[in-house]
Amino acid sequence: MAAAADPAADQNPNPKGAKPHEPNAEAEFAEEEYDEDGEEEEYEEEEEEELDGPAAAAAERERVQSVFQRLSSDPVAIRVHDVVIEGNTKTRDEVIEAEVADLLRAAPTVQDLLHAASVATSRLHRLEVFDAVKITLDAGPPELPGTTNVVIEVVEAANPLTGSAGVYSKPEARSWSLEGSLKLKNPFGYGDIWDASGAYGWDQTTEVGVGVYLPRFKSIPTPLMARASLSSQDWLKFSSYKEQLLGLSFGLLSTMKHDLSYNLTWRTLTDPSRASSMAIRRQLGHNLLSALKYTYKIDQRDSLLRPTKGYAFQSTSQIGGLWDNKGLRFFRQEFDVRGAVPLGFYNAALNVGVGAGVILPLGRGFMNSSSTVPDRFFLGGQSSPVCSVSGLSSLLGFRKRGVGPTEARRLDPNESGSGSAAPPGRDYLGGDLAVSAFADLSFDLPLKLFRDAGIHGHAFLTAGNLAKLSEGEYKNFSVSQFQRTFRSSAGVGIILPTKLFRVEVNYCYILKQAEHDSGKTGIQFSFSSPM
Amino acid sequence: MASAAAAAASAEWEAAERKVLVARKPCFGLPTACPTSLPVLLYLRLAEVPFDIHVDTSFPDADHIPYVEFGDCVAFNNERGGVIEYLKEEKIVDLNSKHPSVSPADVVSTKAMVSTWLMDALQYELWVVTDGSIAHDIYFSDLPWPIGKILHWKKARDVKQLLGITKLNAAEKEEEIYQKARAAYGALSLILGDQIFLFDNSPTDADALFLGHALFVLNALPDASVLRGTLQIYENLVNFVEHHKVRLLGDSSSPGLGSSTSPSSSTPRKRASAGQSYKPKPRAKKERTEEEKKFRQRSKYFLAAQLVAVLVFLSLMGVDSSELDDDDGIDYED
Repeated sequence: MAAAADPAADQNPNPKGAKPHEPNAEAEFAEEEYDEDGEEEEYEEEEEEELDGPAAAAAERERVQSVFQRLSSDPVAIRVHDVVIEGNTKTRDEVIEAEVADLLRAAPTVQDLLHAASVATSRLHRLEVFDAVKITLDAGPPELPGTTNVVIEVVEAANPLTGSAGVYSKPEARSWSLEGSLKLKNPFGYGDIWDASGAYGWDQTTEVGVGVYLPRFKSIPTPLMARASLSSQDWLKFSSYKEQLLGLSFGLLSTMKHDLSYNLTWRTLTDPSRASSMAIRRQLGHNLLSALKYTYKIDQRDSLLRPTKGYAFQSTSQIGGLWDNKGLRFFRQEFDVRGAVPLGFYNAALNVGVGAGVILPLGRGFMNSSSTVPDRFFLGGQSSPVCSVSGLSSLLGFRKRGVGPTEARRLDPNESGSGSAAPPGRDYLGGDLAVSAFADLSFDLPLKLFRDAGIHGHAFLTAGNLAKLSEGEYKNFSVSQFQRTFRSSAGVGIILPTKLFRVEVNYCYILKQAEHDSGKTGIQFSFSSPM
Repeated sequence: MASAAAAAASAEWEAAERKVLVARKPCFGLPTACPTSLPVLLYLRLAEVPFDIHVDTSFPDADHIPYVEFGDCVAFNNERGGVIEYLKEEKIVDLNSKHPSVSPADVVSTKAMVSTWLMDALQYELWVVTDGSIAHDIYFSDLPWPIGKILHWKKARDVKQLLGITKLNAAEKEEEIYQKARAAYGALSLILGDQIFLFDNSPTDADALFLGHALFVLNALPDASVLRGTLQIYENLVNFVEHHKVRLLGDSSSPGLGSSTSPSSSTPRKRASAGQSYKPKPRAKKERTEEEKKFRQRSKYFLAAQLVAVLVFLSLMGVDSSELDDDDGIDYED
């Protein structure tokens, strides 16, 4: 008992009080939960030694109370002597130590140590390889008073193989997809998670891939990810080509704000319909994309589904052409700024946002070379610009990829000769420069029933424009012309958040569109996935 | 209905400002080195149609190349039997119709022979027999090497499957392929005789097909190629090829009959890849080859004789030199 209380109570070295450490006499300050709002720690003290009598029990209680009083009044200095890890059969000690040891050793007082212990518990849980984590503070060696040993007990995941399926929203695919995956946790003991996944997207995107996630690799502090995937995207209806991608991607740096990844992809564009326009026909074939992508993201909005306050900023830079001069070489930059302002009434909020992006081919003669179609910017589609940060592509009221430079598809003289009046259609080629903006006013509906279900209404105004700069077209570019040809739409709608996705029913009115844009005034449905 | 449609296509052709042939890149002294694209180019040149060439470098395994664009319309290789068949059917460019004395049955059977037996032999040599550098130069030199390697391997495997070649029957199949090629060349030589074209001194699409094949064999395949050697036996065929090469291809970029506009590679790739030389040979090549063979044989004998002499000398000297060495050694030690 005395030995238990000593590390906490004694600040001075006390040779008399240092009793031999007995495994029975342990006081445990165990943390049960880590709460987001603050630290709610439950202190439990277990006594295993036989008591002499009620007097000893009373003395013990008094002693414990005095410990609590001291802890709540003054900071109590302590030093972590040793971090002991128990319960790990597969997982290597280094992995656990690297995650939490520094944090625990740095705590100078007991209060800090308890806080650090709860943070450490949550970090270890986040590794996703343990079923339970328990950190206890044990008495340090008797010859070193004022020290403690931290004991980390982990229970490794009983079933290393887990499967999951769900509907997710992928920023690259720009739509939602049905995904199933299998995960193998920690087969090599490094906290590594291997997964194999398959996904089918709403826009006929299919993907299969295998990946590995390492929380720590040698001395690199941030997690590393590597993924090999095979995917195909079907753009026949919009731009007359299909895309097949076989790629390796490596996530090199991934923190809250920064994300750096390297992508090596073999991309093949084909046109099984043989109806593409000349611009697309010239781009069909094989390409090697070797690109580094850096994303900087800040999201201070209060909610992802219905932001009412805050701001967000995202910048994505991509530079391709790191292989050799035969691969694709370009520089692509996107900016996105959003803000949300609460208005007083009806829980209303005004969301505004502006996005801009540009892609430039690199290399000799870059001023006259063309950018590749899949890397260009496209506007159009029914996804809500409010929800995601990278909403450069959405323009409500217009069909997906339905805006921007177009070119006539191949003309089949037999069909046109036999009298069918339908023109061959046009391919949407995308733009090298894209600007889009939106303003959205969301408000609660007057009925209490709707308010409780989270159903709310919104009125919006969106605008955007695309321009071609490559192949020498930048000489013909003028800002005033670009401003004049801005497409825009406005409308009102109702948003129903369901468990799986967010449904929007909007009435869109096209204010301005260009000759070949496919914008339609009317009622439209849109689905976005709550991320 | 069909005639109305054909008229529409032909009207589009006439209305088009420029016609563009999209083919694979030039190499080995030919305006396009791909054996599928070359006949189309030659057909258009025989018909004296002015056209531009656009080089495609990124899609070596495409079925639809070569294709011809006119206005908004396109004639693909994998539609309606190919570009030449399309142009004939739509009455846009029909060489055969200009000379009605030509027997269509003969033309069709000759074409069938060229496009099956001779094409098989050429594909066999290009993808299976040679070391791959020729195919690389034509198809994959502008692609990054991992993609090029994988596509090359895929194509070689596909060709073997198409020809039905397995490990067990490889030798048999090879013999069969060359036998058919020999028979085809023999037949063509008889058909040609001493005429300017295969049929009645007037050009047909069979001429374009055979010329495309033969130009490739004589210019791109290496000296040691069996197919090339077989073709060179028939003098009249070789003369036929050389005559039309000069007439149709000139310097391989004669303005007015088709100029290449390749965006990425501005210099026509006439130079051969390192390690092999494919210089276009002049007409007296055949005689020179025999002389060369004799010369090589003689030089081999000469070298062998030299080697024997040196060996004999060394062995004799070795007996003497060992005695001399001992003496030398004693001298040095002293």
